[in-house]
Amino acid sequence: MNFSKTSIKTVALALVLSAFAATSAEAGPREDIIAKFQAQAEAPANPANGEQMYNATYGTGKPDTPKCTTCHGATPQQGGETRTAKLIDPMAVSKTPDRFTDAKKVDKWFRRNCTGVIGRECTAQEKVDFLTFLAGQ
Amino acid sequence: MSDAPNSDNKPANGTSKRASRMVKVWDIPTRAFHWSLVSMVFIGILTGYIAPEWWMGMHVWAGYITVTLLVFRLVWGVFGSEYARLETFAFGPMHILTHMKEIITLRPVRHYIGHNPSGAAMIFGLLIVLIIITISGLLVLGGEENQGALAGVASYAIGDMAAEVHAFFVFALMAMIVMHVGGVILEGRLTGENLVHSMITGLKKVPQGTPPLAHRRARPLYAALVTGLFFSGAALGLENLAKIPPSGLVQLPANAAYESECGDCHGVFHPSLLPIASWQGMMQSLEDHFGEDASLDDDSVNEITAYLTQFGGENWDTEASNRFAILDPAKPYSIIATPYWVRKHDEIKPEVFKRRGIGVKSNCGACHTDHYSGRFDDQKINIPEEKKK
Ligand code: HEC
Ligand code: HEC
Ligand code: HEC
Repeated sequence: MNFSKTSIKTVALALVLSAFAATSAEAGPREDIIAKFQAQAEAPANPANGEQMYNATYGTGKPDTPKCTTCHGATPQQGGETRTAKLIDPMAVSKTPDRFTDAKKVDKWFRRNCTGVIGRECTAQEKVDFLTFLAGQ
Repeated sequence: MSDAPNSDNKPANGTSKRASRMVKVWDIPTRAFHWSLVSMVFIGILTGYIAPEWWMGMHVWAGYITVTLLVFRLVWGVFGSEYARLETFAFGPMHILTHMKEIITLRPVRHYIGHNPSGAAMIFGLLIVLIIITISGLLVLGGEENQGALAGVASYAIGDMAAEVHAFFVFALMAMIVMHVGGVILEGRLTGENLVHSMITGLKKVPQGTPPLAHRRARPLYAALVTGLFFSGAALGLENLAKIPPSGLVQLPANAAYESECGDCHGVFHPSLLPIASWQGMMQSLEDHFGEDASLDDDSVNEITAYLTQFGGENWDTEASNRFAILDPAKPYSIIATPYWVRKHDEIKPEVFKRRGIGVKSNCGACHTDHYSGRFDDQKINIPEEKKK
């Protein structure tokens, strides 16, 4: 009896462990970053808003950079170019797999580019919308 | 080198109206020297004034060959055949003046078999001026460009001074060339002799009745020996000089923060390109960086500021660091606004900067393939051609 109890426990533990391992393999740094913004956002991520943001013309930030596509590609699948002629890899995760995997980098560029384009920092909601849109591209 | 017996270089009386005979005066090495020197000076002037800067390599080679020619000529001036020898045309000042007066007043001049006194004075003058030009050129190369044998010993300031000497004596040289050619033409008119032709064939006319005189032969073996000795000595010296690292260039360690953070939007600028105060001011105003927000976290700002302070312009003694130290007061953080940058690039058309692969003026690395070293050598400039999008 004792023996079978222990074996059930062992099997259960193994199951839990393997399930945990499976989920953590799926949740890479990008998922962590998105989850962090999601936790601060008011509503669930909406990729359609992210797409709208990617294409919108704001003109409320610095005069030379009215929209995200001033520098990023016309579509997420296309590469872009900075105003100083440096090429930027496509923003779509399918094209550039290591996109949004470094939290420090993501924060740095959201800070710079949102103030540059919109004239203010982006909200957590905007960030999570933007990232989920591009993660699905 | 056939050495026909003929007279020495004493003036023979009379004009060329009288019947005359041809004698061999200029030996082959002397003639080859003359025309090689002409071509080197021509190339030097052309590449110095007209050709774009990335032809500097050719200019420098013309200089090296000129030095070789000069050394050879001085040696040949001792061991060459009769009229190649310097002593045969080392006239005293009075002698030279008298001859010049004869030419200027267009009087029939006395005939000389070798160089006449005015021509001889010009030759010594040209040799001296060319020696000054090549030495100062080597100093400019070492001081300003940090290239060549003197790169390790000549500071930028010395190079800058030498540049003025170089330019001045090149002007003098061109004036002397005009006088030299003018003299040849005038002398030809007065004596009926074609001196240019003589410098090609080696033959000159001498008036009939000139007594045959001893004509010393060349001693090519001695000449080769001395020339060889000189150049092996020079090569040894140069090799040792070349071991000294170029002065004014600092060993620049890589800095990951600088290269990644400041290379995100544009190519990384070499720290020597702006004075320390400019870098520090720029690092404190990254939120408004040339119309963009380039803000960074405090740690990165501190690390990069320290790096740029340690390796900013004042720590270098290169052409770029010295020239870009003079800023446009209205744009103290901009390299492309400095008067020197504007002057050096004002011949490049705006369309060129828009080419794919260049994009903007501040993309130094697109054209300067050695920008990462801070050297900006003339020979390393390569403007990308227009490519189809
Ligand atoms: C002035 C040019 C410029 C504009 C305008 C711009 N970006 Fe960027 N962005 C960059 C550059 C350069 C990078 C970094 C290069 C790279 O990641 O390939 C970057 C990176 C990013 C990243 C991080 C990517 C990653 O892999 O982590 C995000 C997020 C981002 N931008 C969002 C935006 C948004 C949102 C907008 C519009 C509101 C915008 N950008 C507008 C230049 C720009
Ligand atoms: C967000 C993009 C961005 C980042 C990040 C950035 N720069 Fe710039 N930088 C620019 C732009 C745009 C210009 C203007 C270029 C022009 O007008 O040709 C510029 C110009 C410069 C220039 C002057 C070029 C000239 O002569 O006009 C220097 C120097 C410079 N940056 C240094 C830095 C340093 C140092 C850093 C790192 C702390 C940095 N940059 C980071 C965008 C950026
Ligand atoms: C479109 C190509 C192009 C770009 C971009 C460019 N340069 Fe130049 N640069 C040239 C050319 C061509 C010359 C030679 C001009 C001449 O004939 O005097 C030159 C000359 C120079 C010289 C003088 C070299 C010497 O020894 O005389 C310096 C220093 C220099 N550039 C620095 C820079 C820096 C710094 C930048 C970036 C801020 C830059 N250049 C961007 C093409 C370029």
